[in-house]
Amino acid sequence: MKRSREVDDELEHPTKVRRVAKVDKLSKLSDELLVRILSFLPVSSLLTSQRISKKYSRLAVDSELWKAAYYRTFVLPRASRIPGIKNPGAHDRLHYSSRLSRWLDDGALVKEGAKTKWKQQYRLRHNWSQGKCAVSEIVVSERPPEPPLLVMLSNSTVFAADSMNGLRAWSVRDERELLASTPLSLAATDTLQLPVSMAIDSNDGEEACERIVLGFDDGSFSIYALRRDQKRFDTLFTHPSSSNGMLSALAMSSPYLLTMTEDHLLSLYVFAEPEDNESRLDPPRLLYSLRSHTAWPPVSLSLRTTATSMTAAIAYSLPTYLSGWTVGVQELNLSHKGELLRSRLATAADEHSFTLSAYRSTSSSSTRSSSPLPGTPREPPLTITPSNSKPTSMSYSHPYLLVAHPDNTLSLYLVKSTSSTLYISSGNRLWGHTSSISGAHVGTRGKAVSISRLGDELRVWDLEGGSASLANRRRFRNGELSVRVQPSRAADESQDRQDEDSGRNFGLKLALDQAFDDSSVSQGWVGFDEQNVIVLREKREGSQALVVYDFT
Amino acid sequence: MSTEATNAPKIKLVTSDNAEMEVDRQVAERSILIKNLLEDLGGDNDEAIPIPNVNEAVMKKVLEWCEHHRNDPPASQDDDSDSRKKSTDIDEWDQKFMQVDQEMLFEIILAANYLDIKALLDVGCKTVANMIKGKSPDEIRKTFNIQNDFTPEEEEQIRRENEWAEDR
Repeated sequence: MKRSREVDDELEHPTKVRRVAKVDKLSKLSDELLVRILSFLPVSSLLTSQRISKKYSRLAVDSELWKAAYYRTFVLPRASRIPGIKNPGAHDRLHYSSRLSRWLDDGALVKEGAKTKWKQQYRLRHNWSQGKCAVSEIVVSERPPEPPLLVMLSNSTVFAADSMNGLRAWSVRDERELLASTPLSLAATDTLQLPVSMAIDSNDGEEACERIVLGFDDGSFSIYALRRDQKRFDTLFTHPSSSNGMLSALAMSSPYLLTMTEDHLLSLYVFAEPEDNESRLDPPRLLYSLRSHTAWPPVSLSLRTTATSMTAAIAYSLPTYLSGWTVGVQELNLSHKGELLRSRLATAADEHSFTLSAYRSTSSSSTRSSSPLPGTPREPPLTITPSNSKPTSMSYSHPYLLVAHPDNTLSLYLVKSTSSTLYISSGNRLWGHTSSISGAHVGTRGKAVSISRLGDELRVWDLEGGSASLANRRRFRNGELSVRVQPSRAADESQDRQDEDSGRNFGLKLALDQAFDDSSVSQGWVGFDEQNVIVLREKREGSQALVVYDFT
Repeated sequence: MSTEATNAPKIKLVTSDNAEMEVDRQVAERSILIKNLLEDLGGDNDEAIPIPNVNEAVMKKVLEWCEHHRNDPPASQDDDSDSRKKSTDIDEWDQKFMQVDQEMLFEIILAANYLDIKALLDVGCKTVANMIKGKSPDEIRKTFNIQNDFTPEEEEQIRRENEWAEDR
């Protein structure tokens, strides 16, 4: 067939194709076709396209486009890091399709369907991976309370409890307003109670009502419900004080509550669900109790429920005679009626059984002479085994167990729990911090945050899959497991404006850059949810502030 | 249009400007629309198939593409499964094939969409995507002669909203 002259000309000068239009033919295409064209663009061009005209600014935020971009950028790369999902590139199942894709545990976003704002989700994950966030500060008290302030973050709400100010909740969204507060005193005697532990119900049935449980130094505990609409806390239940001593750790997953006292008495309670949501809870039934003789602080409790059973786990530090400190996990498997199905103990595997150093030495062996010349700086001995010093903080979110040490490192253990075995992988040390770490917190998906003691260095870690996957070993060697969090420029700009009217926002103000100096000392507490990281920081003069890192 | 395969069964198409074209059935069946039509008509049918949305010039171009790709494996039915490569890579022959003026490019896209030739539609869309990629909004507007209906403030507002994704 003969080509038209025009085409032949262009074939001779392929680089000089005249593609400047006289009429706007592109915009005449249907929205469906335009979205199809946009679907071939990388994210950067997609964002640029929003600025072409109003039509394109509407099309380029199409949720399907961002859903696909989210899948490509965040779900597929993860697949290669998770042991057990082999050859993701070659496998058809892992190609994106709005109906067929495997979303790993981002499936919840997909189920939400039309409600999910995919561009926003993309931005959120992007900011996490870059360590970009806005920083603001909530001043919580003028002097450090005794015992120390307890803080947790859940569903974009900060919960804080101390004896002087009681239980308070702030929203970390836009206004950072105080949502509700309640004093912590016994109605009858008016004596102040000293909260020593706190947990948030991980089984969030209703969004409008979150349950918080506080443990006190006299062994009593109280359950509160935050009524957002009415801006108050309702006391659902108060357990009388107990001779078993103060409650050092709690975990809650309705209707179950797990408590642990100072001297390691573990109790599991079940509450009868009230028919009417407003009413108080009836006294719980004690399902199980156990005294552990091995657990040393810091401990971390966890409670997971399935349709048929529940798993209560205590992660604790453990002194050993020869090699300092290690970690252990005790896991209790119970039926919903409280029958103990299984109880297992595991301590971290022999720390020499697996090290990453072999990988590094093979890569550098060719350049290293067998006997170093005098004066040649020797490579420091590479130990990847966990630190033997006593942990400063412990966070267990199955299967990740993250331990902070005072020597600038963290140790990550993977807990493997199957019907037949409970096993803790040998720990891997994580470098990145340049000063002592005072707090670390790991969440689902292996996302973790850690804060240095001076509060000047916040790092975000992506630990998914542990060191078992090849991709992570490579990232590990390249030091790519974590990013240091930097406040974004946007926050700096808006700082001056917001500082002026900080007074009326319940003592809220944006953190100043110079606050990141030695005059501020972190209390060593850190926590996060999907959108925010909060850090409790204590200034030298004793005032305390919660610093909110907002990744949205 | 092809003479190599003289024994292959032929069918007739009539374009919007009333031009009659004879084409190998196998080539025409790259179009799912035509394939389904032929199946519905059943058996041997000498009747010419009307294609009212495509003119002769565009149809020739489309059939040229179908001829070259006559032996490609059939397209998957799942429209949004992304076994189609997400990159904007286009094979060399297709790239040359798409070196046409914008008018023809959009006509091919519309025809491929109407005739339901997914692979050709993707090549067309990728070609347009490549003309957008890496350009500033102003350059994109110039390329396609798009009217900017933003005020400078509005455009700046969007730029600021999307600052988070900029490389630093």
